[in-house]
Amino acid sequence: MIYIENKIETLRGCKFLGGLKESVLSDLAASAETLRIGSNENIITQGETGSIMYFVISGKVRVHDGEVIWAYIEEGGVFGEMAVLDSEIRSASVTTESDSLLLSISRDVFYDALSADPEAFKAVLQAVLQREREIVEQIKVRTAKLMSYQKEMEIGRRIQADFLPGSIPEVDNWEIAAWFEAAREVAGDFYDVFRLKNSSHMAIVIGDVCDKGVGAALFMTLFRSLIRASSLYGCLGSSLIDTGPEKPTNSVSEVLLNSILTTNRYIATTHAGSSMFASVFFGFLNIETGKLTYVNAGHEAPMVFRKNGDIELLDITGGVLGLFPAASYATKTVTLNEGDLIFTYTDGVNEAKNLDGEQFTEQRILEIAAPEGNDTESFLGIILNAVRQFRGEAEQSDDITMLALRFLPQVAAD
Amino acid sequence: MATLNIMVGEAQGNVPVTILRLEGDIDAATQKILQDKATEVVGGGATHILLDMSGVNYMGSAGFRAIHALTNMLSSEESSTLSKSPHLKLLNPADSVARVIKTLGFDVYLDIYQDRDEAVNSF
Repeated sequence: MIYIENKIETLRGCKFLGGLKESVLSDLAASAETLRIGSNENIITQGETGSIMYFVISGKVRVHDGEVIWAYIEEGGVFGEMAVLDSEIRSASVTTESDSLLLSISRDVFYDALSADPEAFKAVLQAVLQREREIVEQIKVRTAKLMSYQKEMEIGRRIQADFLPGSIPEVDNWEIAAWFEAAREVAGDFYDVFRLKNSSHMAIVIGDVCDKGVGAALFMTLFRSLIRASSLYGCLGSSLIDTGPEKPTNSVSEVLLNSILTTNRYIATTHAGSSMFASVFFGFLNIETGKLTYVNAGHEAPMVFRKNGDIELLDITGGVLGLFPAASYATKTVTLNEGDLIFTYTDGVNEAKNLDGEQFTEQRILEIAAPEGNDTESFLGIILNAVRQFRGEAEQSDDITMLALRFLPQVAAD
Repeated sequence: MATLNIMVGEAQGNVPVTILRLEGDIDAATQKILQDKATEVVGGGATHILLDMSGVNYMGSAGFRAIHALTNMLSSEESSTLSKSPHLKLLNPADSVARVIKTLGFDVYLDIYQDRDEAVNSF
């Protein structure tokens, strides 16, 4: 049994009504209904209209938006008052956390009681303003926190950008262009172009780590670094040293394979529990002969545009990297002749979606690609523009990375 | 909102085979349903699982990660040295899913069968 005195006590204890005169409190208490509610019962549903406010005599409720909990309200607290005061829809849902005893007061009862006393209106107004000030303070604190997260994110993004080549190496007889556009502030795509020491070879890498956001970005730095370190500095004693015109061709594929196997085994073993993987196209290009030795680990097939108009796709030679320690990979070779262009990209290109959910597709790339008469930068520009035009108003859902290399026709010496 | 329903069945190959028939999408939102069901059947003693993919309309990278986690759960010292999992196989993926499996080279890691009996007897 809840006595009128208990009800008045509860209302008086609430900051929101604390300034009201005793007579007004008594009127409100007399009209207030008592509710006993078991735990996990929904009292208010977000988005609905409501005309009742509640005061917690005992127990506990949670204010939430679906799974996200904004606040808990316990003994002496009030909820549902905003929609009662401004007649707007409920801004959050409220559900009992434990068995609770509540007082409910309807909008009509509340305004009737207040209209009897102008001072009461003033008191409620002050309480509302006080609460608004508290909310503003909370927003200030949260904004400051958010800004510090954003600053951290920006630092992360800048550090991650260091894992992409700052500039593309200038290589005689080769024209190279790259494009990288992250869908979010940190990305899972990567590419790399670097010369191998004491060698006529240049490494080209393009990769896409599964998923998005910070997790993908962390693994991107790992994949990229392992591939670069294992091919630049060798591993298990192997390194790429050209020995002249009769150099053994298998040494190139051995180092390449060793690098891929090491990267795969390291991540699949050390980070087995993460189940993070990357699709990677990785090749060593002999810049003198145009011969490209490559591994395609589950990546979109790069396209070789021959000068005569033929197109070749470099299909996979193994599965994605990072999951199965015993995975094996094959190396393949393709020789680029003068005037030929190789184009590699990530699925941000072929899987770019328009508002109807249609994908750009590999087929469209083949249709719009214009290797003839364009330098590699313009070649990428044409594809990028076509993807953007296709996407229209739809959001860029994945990172876009593209890399194109052309073996320039040699100019005959005078 | 993507959904995923899973029905559990049993069949006898050379060893007892648990068949998980998946229906719906396997993406970031639903992969936990697969993970939870996998944990449950593996906890219940399942050692060889056939994933019937014929009812899967879409599988994103989260789905491939969940399948990898499942192969890890089933992995033994002996099987971890093999390039293909002897414990987990796929049955009859739809064309769109089969295409993604092929692009990522997952068919290098997992056997894929079109026929249920052939799949069960391969274990």
